[in-house]
Amino acid sequence: MAMALPDSIPMRWPSGPLELATRQKKEGFTAQGKQALEYWHTPAALDIIQGSPVNCLVIGWAAGLAEDAEQQRTIRPLVDAARQRKLDVVGWVDGKTDNNAAIAAAQAAGLTAVAIQGFTGKSDFPVLPWGDRAHAPWSTSAPVLPVTDNVWPGVAGGRPDATAGPTALPWLDSNGWFLQVARARTQTPLWIVFDPPGKGEVVPARSYQTAVCDVEIGGGRWVISLDDAFRAGLAAKDAAAKDAWTGLANTVAFFVKHPEWKSYKSLGAIAVVSDFSGENYDFSGEVVNALTRRDLLCRVLCDTGKELPALTGVKTVLRADTVAPSAPIRKSLLAYVEQGGFLVAGSKWGSDGKSIPGASADFDVRTLGKGRIAVAKEDTSDPWDFVTKAQAHLSHADDVAKLFNASASGGFTYENSPDGKRALLQLLSYSNYGGGGRGGGGGRGPNAGGGAPAAVPLSSLATAWTRHKYRSAQLWTLEAGAPTKVEVAPCEDGGTEYHLPAMASYLALDFEV
Amino acid sequence: MGLEMNRRMFLGGLAAAAIPARATVTTPTAPVAIAKCKTYAESLPVITKLMDQLGGLGRIVKNKTVVIKINFTGGPTTRLGYMSQARTYWTNPNHLGAMITLLDKAGARRIHIAEGADSPFVSLEEWMYKASWDVAALKNAGPRVDFVNTNIAYPGSKPYSRFKVPNGGHLFPAYDLNTVFEESDVLISMTKAKEHTTAGVTISMKNLFGMTPNCIYGSGAGGDEPLKMPKGGRQQILHGGRGQPPKSSLPELDPNSSRQDTYRIPRCIADINAARPYQLAVIDAVESMSGGEGPWSPGARPCSPGFVFAGTNGVTMDAVGMALMGFDPMAERGTVPFEDGDSALKLAEELGVGTRDLKRIEVIGTPIAEAKFDYRAVPGGIYRRGQPRQGQPGQFPGRGNQPAQPGQVPGRG
Repeated sequence: MAMALPDSIPMRWPSGPLELATRQKKEGFTAQGKQALEYWHTPAALDIIQGSPVNCLVIGWAAGLAEDAEQQRTIRPLVDAARQRKLDVVGWVDGKTDNNAAIAAAQAAGLTAVAIQGFTGKSDFPVLPWGDRAHAPWSTSAPVLPVTDNVWPGVAGGRPDATAGPTALPWLDSNGWFLQVARARTQTPLWIVFDPPGKGEVVPARSYQTAVCDVEIGGGRWVISLDDAFRAGLAAKDAAAKDAWTGLANTVAFFVKHPEWKSYKSLGAIAVVSDFSGENYDFSGEVVNALTRRDLLCRVLCDTGKELPALTGVKTVLRADTVAPSAPIRKSLLAYVEQGGFLVAGSKWGSDGKSIPGASADFDVRTLGKGRIAVAKEDTSDPWDFVTKAQAHLSHADDVAKLFNASASGGFTYENSPDGKRALLQLLSYSNYGGGGRGGGGGRGPNAGGGAPAAVPLSSLATAWTRHKYRSAQLWTLEAGAPTKVEVAPCEDGGTEYHLPAMASYLALDFEV
Repeated sequence: MGLEMNRRMFLGGLAAAAIPARATVTTPTAPVAIAKCKTYAESLPVITKLMDQLGGLGRIVKNKTVVIKINFTGGPTTRLGYMSQARTYWTNPNHLGAMITLLDKAGARRIHIAEGADSPFVSLEEWMYKASWDVAALKNAGPRVDFVNTNIAYPGSKPYSRFKVPNGGHLFPAYDLNTVFEESDVLISMTKAKEHTTAGVTISMKNLFGMTPNCIYGSGAGGDEPLKMPKGGRQQILHGGRGQPPKSSLPELDPNSSRQDTYRIPRCIADINAARPYQLAVIDAVESMSGGEGPWSPGARPCSPGFVFAGTNGVTMDAVGMALMGFDPMAERGTVPFEDGDSALKLAEELGVGTRDLKRIEVIGTPIAEAKFDYRAVPGGIYRRGQPRQGQPGQFPGRGNQPAQPGQVPGRG
């Protein structure tokens, strides 16, 4: 069977003996949760996703436990029913497992593929090697690359229904920065794997929409995963849970209609160059994260040992790697500086250029050709510190886009299409303001597009600004089925402002260049 | 008394008078010029007229170094709805550009633009860029213009300078400020006239409260020396009295005094205006906001009062400003607009800065009655501390309590 996994909408489908065996050992597992796992193991459970974009089940297949065989035997009716409904089924293999046996069993059971951590062997049956963020098999030839160790997006340090204020700058958990790095490292479509917060917390329905948007904006695809209460609510045909599911499914469907957006590339005026391996992954990855948190749009360029592509539109390059660059990268960056660019580099960069005495307390700033190089006087182990110091040498005069009244966003993306004919600004609010519903159970109404307050606070009226003037702009939201016009106003500094509606959760400005 | 009175003369006068603190004495007065101004396109001609009415700008700035204290309260990305900071709660760049142009024409030797900006935007220009100001236009408005972030040390061997409060002061005996305020001969206060949730009103004097450097008076300061970079705003030390500045600065006079910000902030305002009085203020109420000092104020809503006024004395300016805003400058604590705290005007008057008695203040140009705009009458409800909110504060107001469209601003009928 030909796999369509790159375009599929995967959903984690925990059920059966294997899931029970692992879950029963964990705190907070309830009889209700057990019932849900049993129900989701039956073909009838597939009715839950009927009519939704979900077309791929990611089922527990093997975990090196005694229950593996029972799992694979009892899940056959579910697998058969799924295949009859033309759904793909991927078996997730974890733990110390006999991979060959797992593959053979999957083939016999009619699965579409199996996903095995770090798989490097050969198999006639489709295998999706997966890995955590730091050890993902970037060079995989598989149709998709599942990556684990991701975060549940939202306001950090609080409950999942915590809100971000209009005048405060909250720290946010987002997978956006990692997706930027990941997309620079591989062309393979990314499955981003993460579960809702554990320990029986009730997850607001709005958080699920946020999870979808967080990953889709970054160009990946979330392997949908529901919390226990949500699954139990859906199993019990609870109205609130069904509404919340509809909201989640509609959010996914929105992005399915815009597949071209995943090919867009950042227009940021800052480029982060790193090989993103080993310690450099941790450090430079956090640099990308810190820039995003500060609304500094950046591009990520992976040092593959080859010369970099043209750095058109890049005003500053940050290269924080603690080792000297390879010769091709060095050549690329020096050429960029000589043509007027600005390079901020770690202390091991080298001694190119003529030093400007007293230019900076933290960097040795040098002139080279038409540009400058700022070499750190000392390396720091703190990426935030590096960005803070570097920011003193960056300028918002180079901003290509910015936002007002959008500090509850986790940063935003501003990209253009490969042919340069369109541009896209996407903005996601990580605040759960206006979304009081919960994902599953409890009898309260869902917040899928509802629950908005009667008054619209002025602080919720955000404005986007672009330096570029576009021929046209249209506004997409999750709630509207079609794009709408956006109020446009010229700005005193020569840019253009777009007055955005009171933001429910997500919006996109789609520009014609 | 008018523009001919420079800072040194003023301070000298205060010292000679030896006015005891908190005593009712005959305080100085100075004229205030008022002009209607409907849009910021009129900034240059209107401010030119105001300066002429005050006796000419050259008399105070010729061959002098000038520092303009602007106001960037809040952050560069926080707006009141869709309206820019410049239209609602910050100093307006058109006004600032006009002032720079006039200062240059009047022979100012050097012009510093000063305000406290917090990390990571260590330069003032970065705040301006972030807020979509045209920085190049400001720089081109006159030669010898630079920008000083007064939250951090002034470059050179003397980062901060001590300004003693005449007659002892209300809260602190002296304040350590960025040396640009000592190095400059002339200090100009340029901001908007607004209400203030703590101080009642924020006009020309409250703007100077922002001269206090966060490296000394900001959260996280303390220890022996000023911080290299600010760690937070003034809430901890100046607002709440939950800590003292570093040992290198003088502590407050009475650590057992009230910790209420509505007690402390007005006193701090009065102190600073006595310690480092300005020589000129140009206050903008072309467009502004009602219900507080920024979008975070619970009653915040935009308005278009349509006037500008200028003068040389903090108290006389703010007294006229209060009258223009529909308030009584003689108001006491517990009355509008000082329902929650003390009057900085009264406290500054006690320190001998100036009079708030309108009968003693010469008004030039448009009479107060003609320019007056009642800030409290702007629809949208009034929020005071500890009271339930009225109406729907935060919504765009419209006439007759009808919701207005976003971007619509109530102004003169």
